[in-house]
Amino acid sequence: MKDQLTELARRAEADYCEIRVEDSRQTSVAFQGKDLENVQESHMFGGNVRACVNGCWGFVTFNDLSTLDSRVQEAVRNARAAAAANAEKTVLAAVDPVEDVVKLDVKSDPRKVSLEDKISLFGGYNERMLGHSGVTSTNLRYFDTYTHLHFANSEGTWLDREALDMGMGASAVARNNGTTARGTASEGGRANFESFRGMEKRFDEAAEAAVDAAKSEVVEGGTYTVICDPHLAGVFVHEAFGHLSEGDNVAEDPRMQEVLKLGRRFGEKYLNIWDTGLDTGLRGYLPYDDEGVPTQKTWLIREGELVGRLHSRETAGRMKEKPTGNARAINYRFPPIPRMRNTCIGNGPHGSFEDLIKDVKLGIYAIESSGGQTNGELFTFTAGQAFMIRDGKLAERVRDVTLSGNVFDTLRNITGIGGDFNVQDGAGGCGKGGQMPLPVSHGSPHIRIKDVVIGGR
Amino acid sequence: MKESTNKIAEDAKAGDFTGKLGTLAEAFEMFQAEGRSLNVGFENDRLNEIRQGQSSGVSIRAVKGGKIGFSYSSKPDELDYVAEAAIRMAPYGKTYDYQFAGEARSEHTRPFDPRCAELNPDQLVSICNHIKDTVKAIDSEALVDCSVGGGIGSSRIVTSNGQDCREEQSSFSFFVSLRLAEEGNFVQNYRFGAANEIIEEDVILAEAKSAADEFQIARKRADIKKGKYTVLVAPTALSDLLMPIMVSVNGSAIEKKTSRFVDAMGEKLFDERLTLVDDPFHEDGVGGGLYDGEGVPTQKRAIIEKGTVNGFVHTLSTANRCGHEPTGNAQRGVSSLPMPGMHNLVMAPGTDSLAEMRQKADGGLYLRQLLGSFTSNFLAGQVSGNISLGFLIKDGELVGRVKNCALNVNSFDLLKSNILGISKEREWIGGRYLPWLLVDGVQISA
Repeated sequence: MKDQLTELARRAEADYCEIRVEDSRQTSVAFQGKDLENVQESHMFGGNVRACVNGCWGFVTFNDLSTLDSRVQEAVRNARAAAAANAEKTVLAAVDPVEDVVKLDVKSDPRKVSLEDKISLFGGYNERMLGHSGVTSTNLRYFDTYTHLHFANSEGTWLDREALDMGMGASAVARNNGTTARGTASEGGRANFESFRGMEKRFDEAAEAAVDAAKSEVVEGGTYTVICDPHLAGVFVHEAFGHLSEGDNVAEDPRMQEVLKLGRRFGEKYLNIWDTGLDTGLRGYLPYDDEGVPTQKTWLIREGELVGRLHSRETAGRMKEKPTGNARAINYRFPPIPRMRNTCIGNGPHGSFEDLIKDVKLGIYAIESSGGQTNGELFTFTAGQAFMIRDGKLAERVRDVTLSGNVFDTLRNITGIGGDFNVQDGAGGCGKGGQMPLPVSHGSPHIRIKDVVIGGR
Repeated sequence: MKESTNKIAEDAKAGDFTGKLGTLAEAFEMFQAEGRSLNVGFENDRLNEIRQGQSSGVSIRAVKGGKIGFSYSSKPDELDYVAEAAIRMAPYGKTYDYQFAGEARSEHTRPFDPRCAELNPDQLVSICNHIKDTVKAIDSEALVDCSVGGGIGSSRIVTSNGQDCREEQSSFSFFVSLRLAEEGNFVQNYRFGAANEIIEEDVILAEAKSAADEFQIARKRADIKKGKYTVLVAPTALSDLLMPIMVSVNGSAIEKKTSRFVDAMGEKLFDERLTLVDDPFHEDGVGGGLYDGEGVPTQKRAIIEKGTVNGFVHTLSTANRCGHEPTGNAQRGVSSLPMPGMHNLVMAPGTDSLAEMRQKADGGLYLRQLLGSFTSNFLAGQVSGNISLGFLIKDGELVGRVKNCALNVNSFDLLKSNILGISKEREWIGGRYLPWLLVDGVQISA
């Protein structure tokens, strides 16, 4: 494989060429209500060739390795066809070629756990949720995916890399007087199947949250001070700032370069944000990105000021900045684009949750998340659970709490950052450019934000 | 390309294989699919990429000991592995308490445009260049992203109950986006379209012009305060407002009794003017097909008929569990299990003209795009999202963009009591053919 791929990439008549071959096997288990809905084993094999000529890309996917020679020629031909209408030069930030073999480094390998054991474990959790009075249905899905990647480029990089990804997402559904509400539990990671054991309490809490939420009122819409738990704050930093930091938003947009000029103040001195691929065991761990660039910890905001962004080699080259190892693709069917890994808000000086809440006269405590979306400037995401805050104390539960806002205003409106940093992986992933779900992580301590627009009745 | 799509139909080896599978499993369903595509993409005003895709896959559901196992491979020659894995999974799987599709032929035909197999990069690059020129002639400052492309595919479903159906698909799509990052005002507008046949260039350019005209208005700001507004909902946003109904007629939600409509068949829950039809045979709809993802012939059916709940959408399994007739609504990719879903959602037109409705919306909002509404609690009817593109209406004209505000409605209530008008005009949004809707009493947070 090594000789074939490196030779074909090297011989390609393009400014740059890379070949990726991917072989992955996935086991998944899904419950719906009392039924074991699906037990599945899948095999995905395929690859792609990406060639660049005069700044234009030819991209070709394949399932059959025996046709690789022709696929390389097609990719080069497409890049040349595109380049014929383009007078630019190829600008890829320089990286040292690397040869590496990355073997799995896992604490507990899910492939060594029997299917019976997995079904028993997750079936037990599912039954536990169904056993709560008021829970009418459940959804639970677990997967583990082992991937063997081979990557070669025309500059001499060769990677033979193994990767593991695991995730579990579950929800309990409760109905009350025609109202449906959910409570959720999740876990994920790249190294330790044992982390999925001993989760009984979290499933009990998910079931109780669903039942309580179905009895609660829809939040009254308006503008509130909101305290986000570490999970929701992690989703917030991913959606609200992480996507804005991706180099393809900026590299060829002079106006955006003005708006996102390094050194610009985005928040108070206690606001620190980074994205890292170095945290082994998390779903956002990434030793090399999908252009073969070694990963790193990339600071985005330090003491409130913009200090970096997330690059592919092309966006880094265009901006004359250093590549950060953020070019990622969900699988061989897509080209790598700038994406996040593990995006975090660092601990701040405002103490515990109790310290953050004590001065809030009327507000909302928003916990967990059922997803979100951003368009660069605006964002929306929905809390998994929420409670009113009245006179510095937690009050009644409310439901259907959607947080909307302007990224720039909201970062400035962070008035408190706690000291209880936490990362909680799940089964979901990030979506961008039709590529979803990409395994990412996010973390934060509790944060307090003023003037957040909350949708509701 | 043509040679490749005929491969499945003529694959005698697959025929031999299903004979062998029939001796190993008590029942089975085999799904094969393959496709090829070509797309050209412009980013930041320039030609960025020519992408050529090839995909294939085979999946099998096999019954052993009365239970169903499932497996998939992207390698079309791995039939033996997929069958072995599906049979190995079966003891742990769901009980086979229904029947895989039996022999049945669709009486309909599906549009197929062979030109989609013969697209060439030069032709697509030329269209993209014309899109860029059209937009730049209206707003030279806007950054243009666009893509145009298409392809063909084929699928085959074989079951142990005698079904063996094949289908060929052709597709063509375009996407046009304009954006501009100004301090305190990021503006973006887009249009997209998809069809079973090549979309003529003048149609694409008209959409690009429409997006650019609207983009210019969006560069002007208009103030909005929290309150209740009359809102003219564009088809793009109406698609979001209809999600609670789509989720609630889904056979999975009916089976698990998480839907509000579980006992509502025949009940009038919505405005008399609301009729929603699932039409897999609409010649312009990209969601259609002759057979569903389990090989069941599809049907044109009213889901909501004059405000009354008239039909659910089922897979074979959910129909069986609910004691209903199958509806031919199994949706799936080759790598996934079938789930209930609509083909083409067609909403009946109203009697008002769009221009009249704009006049009636004086002082209200024109809602074009919502952000993040998919995170809403649809089963409860809730739809919430940041208004990523909305306009203030004065004297029947769009006067500027409203920002930093969110829409919060309960669609079940809104579509029952708040409809002021439905337009005669309709527009395709993916697999949905929808009119403009005028509603009042819409809560806006700001």
